[in-house]
Amino acid sequence: MEEHRMVIGLPQGLLYYRYGALWQTFFNELGIETVLSGPTDRRIMDAGAALSIDEACLSLKIFLGHVAALAGRCDYVLVPRVSSFGRHRNMCTRFEALPDLTGNVFRGKGVKVLSYEVDVLSRKGEEAAFLSMAGGLGRSLREVHRAYRQAKKEDQARRKAAVRAEEQLYKSEGIKVLIAAHSYVVEDPYIGRAVTGYLKKSGVIPIRADVVDRDEALKWSQDISLTCKWEMSREIVGSVAMHEHKVDGIILLSAFPCGPDAMVNELISRRVRDVPMLNLVLDSQSGTAGVETRLESFVDIIRFKEGKL
Amino acid sequence: MKDAMEQKKISFPRYAEYNCAFKYIVEQALGCKYVMPPALTKRTMELGAKYSPEFVCTPFKTTLGNMIESLEAGADTLLMTHGLCRLGYYGELQEQILKDLGYKFDFINLSEYDMSKKKEYIRIVRRINPRVNPAKFLAEFMEGVRMVEYLDELTGEYYKNRGFDASGGDYDQAYREFLTAMYTARCRADVEEGYRAARRAMQAVPIEKPLRPLRVGLVGEFYTVMDAFSNLELERKLSGMGVEVHRWMNVTHQFLQYSGGQKNMHVKIEDLCRYEMGPTSTANIWYARECAERGFDGIIHIKSAACTPEIDVMPVLQNISADYKIPVLYLTYDAQTSDVGLMTRLEAFYDMIDMRKKVL
Repeated sequence: MEEHRMVIGLPQGLLYYRYGALWQTFFNELGIETVLSGPTDRRIMDAGAALSIDEACLSLKIFLGHVAALAGRCDYVLVPRVSSFGRHRNMCTRFEALPDLTGNVFRGKGVKVLSYEVDVLSRKGEEAAFLSMAGGLGRSLREVHRAYRQAKKEDQARRKAAVRAEEQLYKSEGIKVLIAAHSYVVEDPYIGRAVTGYLKKSGVIPIRADVVDRDEALKWSQDISLTCKWEMSREIVGSVAMHEHKVDGIILLSAFPCGPDAMVNELISRRVRDVPMLNLVLDSQSGTAGVETRLESFVDIIRFKEGKL
Repeated sequence: MKDAMEQKKISFPRYAEYNCAFKYIVEQALGCKYVMPPALTKRTMELGAKYSPEFVCTPFKTTLGNMIESLEAGADTLLMTHGLCRLGYYGELQEQILKDLGYKFDFINLSEYDMSKKKEYIRIVRRINPRVNPAKFLAEFMEGVRMVEYLDELTGEYYKNRGFDASGGDYDQAYREFLTAMYTARCRADVEEGYRAARRAMQAVPIEKPLRPLRVGLVGEFYTVMDAFSNLELERKLSGMGVEVHRWMNVTHQFLQYSGGQKNMHVKIEDLCRYEMGPTSTANIWYARECAERGFDGIIHIKSAACTPEIDVMPVLQNISADYKIPVLYLTYDAQTSDVGLMTRLEAFYDMIDMRKKVL
């Protein structure tokens, strides 16, 4: 009898944009096959919205759509619980709820959730979490340890290169706009890329605030906000503090209704005063036309300010 | 006289009826003046909503509005707590908004302290009053905590029984007098005697319940589920319809007994959730199942608009509802939620559970 090879599904929403590469290398190193849900499109977003509580954020709706797209295509869907990395280094509570939330939404719908838990404040680090998750899949400790190390190394190298490339953009000629947004918003092919794509088409260089040296950004974030407690928001806030004088404008880009963004972006706009700033909130209804009009007028303001209009 | 001039005038926004305990601790334990914020009104909400970011959760707006009212009432020092959800970021943003408006005050934001360290509590106390007497502080602080326990105990009793008061109002009267005693208590004897007198008075009221009264359990977000203004007096409305209203969630249960972390409660809900889904999620899921297993007639889930942890609990509650065939009413409160709209939904819910009771 042929042995069944395990397949793990990776939903391409939320933390995929932070850990996707790490996950893929890790499982591949262990000889476990992974399958992706595919790029976000209208169908995925609508399916996710139908599965969600109305008030949930657009990013969660998209995520659940991705999980639905994996149903029947894998043995497990990977949904970690990521809670904290230390003091004032928390995740939005949604990332704490995510595995159980997914489990309850898809109860009886043929989706099995595979999870691991990172909660440094409760002494649960990432490496131990990976070890115990893969141990549950019947892999030896040594094997898993090696795979994790390898995945981590590759992930760090990849990230370093990405940061280096992004840093180069600050030195380029032309109008530069810093996009302060969560990775899963700005990088999402259906929602965020529409924004960066439009800017590029208009001859503006969009630079991602979330692609930044994370340790450095965490330190800088305290220049703007002392008690900001969300890891990913702090990276973005820190990046804004590091780069506000190197860009011509800042776009605070958010998916409706993002809890941390609703507060953090308000604080940024009250404390970072001398750069043109646009607060742009994307929802499932906002067609591209409305967004483009606002982007267009924002770019006009920058050009006007610099005497180029 | 000089002391009175130097005394800080501290305020912390209205939160259910707990402000009597805040007042007691600030005045008796910390030796400062407590500025009781004006009762929450429509004006509070309008002020809060006007100056808050649009998509922040409603308690942010309520507390911001109430802080403005405290400053108008003469407070010179505002206190804001830390917290595990967005609450932990209220302080810094509210301080910024108020300072941008031009108010002058000292702001004590507990999020700036590492509240996992005991040393930090001493720093906070010293900042509020450097000449505090440690022994007196500890004794009076504990009395303030006891006041919270008494308040939660009698409030729980009150809403279970007030719908069945056969005297025509004595029960309400006894509870009101209890609150007055707590809000005016100035020493340990005042607290203890006020509590015991209220207990006696409440027990003396004739309560006439049908053999199987309608029982409804309340679960939900920590502020809105408890604060009568914020939930538009839901408990009063429900009990007024002749319903036994049960609510586990209060400060005593959550902080003094269950103390936040995932304790033994999670055992009974392991099949529904493996992890702690949010600051109060384990307790809410546990209690919802408890209500279902105890044969309650319905559950009401209460939250403010945009409360992330409670939105995420809803799919679990939907599963409990399906498993136990127990109706769940989901209520979301924002700055615009109206009394009339709520009453319509409550009446419909009442009719439905009442009919089910008669049929089943």
